[in-house]
Amino acid sequence: MKRRRLVHALGVALILGAFSACAQSGAAGTPGATATTPAGVTTITYWHTYSADSPEVGTLENEVIPAFEKANPGIKVKAVTIPYNDMHQKLITGVAGGELPDVVRADIIWVPELANLGVLEPLDTAMPDFGTFKDAVYPGPLATNAWQGHYFGLPLDTNTLVQLYNPKVLKSVGAAAPASMDDLKALADKLVKDGKYAYADNDLSGWNTLPFIWSFGGDITDPDVTKASGYVNSDATVNAITFLYQLYKQGAIPKFITQSGATQTNDGFAKGQYATILGGPWMYPILAGSHPDFAFQAAKVPAGTAGSISVVGGENIVMTSASTHKDAALAFVRYLMSEDAQTTFAKVGQFSVLKSLGDKMTSIQPYYQTYVEQMASARPRPATPAWTEIDAKMKSALQEAFLGNGDIKGALDKLAPELDALLAKYN
Amino acid sequence: MLDTQVTATRLPARRRPRRSWRSPAYAFLLPGFAVFTLVMVYPTAQALLISLQRWSVSPYQPSKFIGLANYATAMRDPIFWRSLANAGVYAGVTVPGQLILGLLCAVALKAAIPGRTAFRIMVYIPVITSWVVVSILFKYLFQTDGGLVNFLLHDVAAVVPANIDWLNSRWLAMAAICALGVWKGVGWTMLIFLAALQAVPDSLYEAAAVDGAGSAKQFWHVTLPSIRRTMVFVMIMLVIGAFNVFISVSLMTDGGPADQTQVPLTYLYRQAFDFLDFGYGSAIAFMLTAVIVAFSALQFRFQGADEESAA
Amino acid sequence: MTRTSPSKRRRQRLVLTTRFVVLSLASLLSIGPLVYMALISFKENAYSLTGPADLTSGTYSLANYAQAWTAGGLGVSFLNSLGVALLTMVAVVLLGSMMAYAFARFDFPGRRIAFALIVFELMVPAIMLVIPQFVLAKSLHLLDNRMGLLLIYIGTNLAFNTFLLYGFFRGIPAELDEAMRIDGAGAWRRYWQLALPLARPALATAAIFSFLGSWDEYVWAMTIITDPTKRTLPLAIALFSGAHATNWGLTFAASVIALVPVLVVFFLFQRQLVGGITAGALKS
Repeated sequence: MKRRRLVHALGVALILGAFSACAQSGAAGTPGATATTPAGVTTITYWHTYSADSPEVGTLENEVIPAFEKANPGIKVKAVTIPYNDMHQKLITGVAGGELPDVVRADIIWVPELANLGVLEPLDTAMPDFGTFKDAVYPGPLATNAWQGHYFGLPLDTNTLVQLYNPKVLKSVGAAAPASMDDLKALADKLVKDGKYAYADNDLSGWNTLPFIWSFGGDITDPDVTKASGYVNSDATVNAITFLYQLYKQGAIPKFITQSGATQTNDGFAKGQYATILGGPWMYPILAGSHPDFAFQAAKVPAGTAGSISVVGGENIVMTSASTHKDAALAFVRYLMSEDAQTTFAKVGQFSVLKSLGDKMTSIQPYYQTYVEQMASARPRPATPAWTEIDAKMKSALQEAFLGNGDIKGALDKLAPELDALLAKYN
Repeated sequence: MLDTQVTATRLPARRRPRRSWRSPAYAFLLPGFAVFTLVMVYPTAQALLISLQRWSVSPYQPSKFIGLANYATAMRDPIFWRSLANAGVYAGVTVPGQLILGLLCAVALKAAIPGRTAFRIMVYIPVITSWVVVSILFKYLFQTDGGLVNFLLHDVAAVVPANIDWLNSRWLAMAAICALGVWKGVGWTMLIFLAALQAVPDSLYEAAAVDGAGSAKQFWHVTLPSIRRTMVFVMIMLVIGAFNVFISVSLMTDGGPADQTQVPLTYLYRQAFDFLDFGYGSAIAFMLTAVIVAFSALQFRFQGADEESAA
Repeated sequence: MTRTSPSKRRRQRLVLTTRFVVLSLASLLSIGPLVYMALISFKENAYSLTGPADLTSGTYSLANYAQAWTAGGLGVSFLNSLGVALLTMVAVVLLGSMMAYAFARFDFPGRRIAFALIVFELMVPAIMLVIPQFVLAKSLHLLDNRMGLLLIYIGTNLAFNTFLLYGFFRGIPAELDEAMRIDGAGAWRRYWQLALPLARPALATAAIFSFLGSWDEYVWAMTIITDPTKRTLPLAIALFSGAHATNWGLTFAASVIALVPVLVVFFLFQRQLVGGITAGALKS
């Protein structure tokens, strides 16, 4: 009896499995990159990282791509969502196996690395009209595409961090939004007495620390990204990090800043535990969803001795050298850069890279206003294939200093030659 | 591992057909072993070759053969050694933890008890939930402010004066990671022990009962000896699993703060897929394998395992 | 049944109570975090995991389940995962038990080295095999193909399950095998009619593990599958994580859905793990 039951279970399993295998076999065997259907239609593959429940993916699939395909009969775009956390690994594996899509929407920090691996087509040579696009976009985002004298992509969308503040918390101590780092420090002194945090962030990577470093006049590397000594351990950089460290030590920044994103700050921000955070435009839909009654406001990053300088984020659009349909792929790139497509995406929270749309942005979303202002002085992270490793090393060194004896200068002095060695690999 | 009879090893040696190239065993072995060789052994050989090179990800750029240099780098890399020590600590905590609790549940669930199926399913549930989901869940549970663990320890039970900063230092974070490891693994060991316990003949328990042995004595003198080989198997698998701990660390601490909680897999993943140093990543992988091989060999020896299975 | 004295009965009741308490405690601890996960899955717009106090506030609804199923394309992924996992299970149980039988019952040239290879592969971190396996799959034209998933899943699950089953087959007394051999039964008949029925609890265990090993697999599927119609469930669930924020309600709803088939498989096969059957067979 018992044995029959097991055999029975396995049998059912086999039949079910075979059934669904048959159901699947219809579309098997198409390689990932490109395919041409019998009708002479060119299909290009486009990898992006919009999450499945995001409004962007709906806009892309239901508005932007249909509009492009209508304007370009004969080209079909196959858009594929890859989770952001896996895109890098998927790209790298694709490089090793020689299997990449035609067009990728890549995080701006990956472009120099991919370019260095020789898998990207330099767009400034592939597109005769590259100059028009180059002139139309903000210089900060554009710079993230540069590697060894060529542009390997175009900025597709951009963003930056601005200061978001909880007016209730500020009001409780009679303070305004901190306009300078000194204001932030003064705010911290007041709030600490109430057991509240003046500022919160959940990581110590470059993305989180560079607005402070740059606003204090410091940097991580020289402008040509060839060395770190004298920059990452300069007085200005040390001052910036020390400023953060003192707030942390004072209890004005929550301890989880030394953990890698262990705590998301939006909840505590909305609940009034922290007065300010730095946040991108994506915080608006998120907070509107999770805390619909929470009214927060935005201001520029508190200014340091060098002004208010934030960090550029966003994505670039790149084309692979392995693409067998480069003309079709470039047509799609051009379309994504058009005012039409950029405006459509702006409506779902993607900040346009086109200078010409700068004024329009605020009419699409009033909250873009602060981002437009901040963007004027925002800077990209150093464009180098070594960035991931530099960032990891620096973060680890800062975590150690924060949790240890707080010797920021010593930590950065020790770090500088290590970063020099990493940069030297690519020069 | 399934000693159906405690005395089995003392019976005359099992007789097998003589060693021969015409053994029917090859027909049994071939289909499975062919697949295994193709998708496991061959890629492993490739990875071994990668570990001897300064390997370029791009097939269009040259890789350089550098002998054992990647291995030498690892020998001098303090973070690699720390990652190995962390994995050792993780194994030291989670292997006995899963073994004892899993055995306890299996023994309690072997015989009839009201709601047995429900109990089995509940204890097994952590095994079937995805590592990614439960790691994120545990990260939240161990959050300093607002996490459930601190809520219970501080706000409810008031056994600690302030919220514990779990994920912000090496040993507290390792404790949280170990808690997840044990929680997720008990059902797995329970299941294997359940299967093994089925094969212990009731006659052995009956004989022990006639001799006046109580439940505790029956456990020590019948159950434990009967499943000795299963124990060895489970221990070896748990040690392998412990040294390969990855997703939980990656998601709960990402090896931080300051690389304090790196384990070999998070570290080699970072070297390979983030920094594109696949040669170094592979070298770390094989050094880890060597450590596990050494551990398992010791276990086989000390447990007096079936000498043939140590082939 | 032997007659039991009152004191003995009392002791038996104590043992039963102890077992009950231990099991209740273990069950509670096991499902606690998942109850929390299930609660979140009914909350809308759960972009941050909230504290115990917040669980009671906010709206509860089935909206996440509906949205996860439609927006995430869970239906297709569900079928893909089910097909691949069932085929993996059948293949691994069959091929693994054959290999285990060969190792357990025969001596042949190459046995020790073949067995050592199997145990060795258990110890190699799978993540470092991803790139060589990717290149292999490419040369076999199995990229972005469910057969590529199946092939690798069979290969990766074979080692463990062969090792598992080997031990169980070794436990079957050689006398039974010998008796059948003398009766003129060939190797295949002894495997099919003796070894397999006697190792039923072990086969059930291997079935549960190999199903789960494929159902739950993420890294390889993410590496080779691109086409949305070929995604497996873990891939579909991962798509709910955004670069900046994750809707936990959706993610957990999808994860709860993903639990169901594994529970069914476990429920079906765990019934094989009932005391006394094999013991009876072996005594005969």
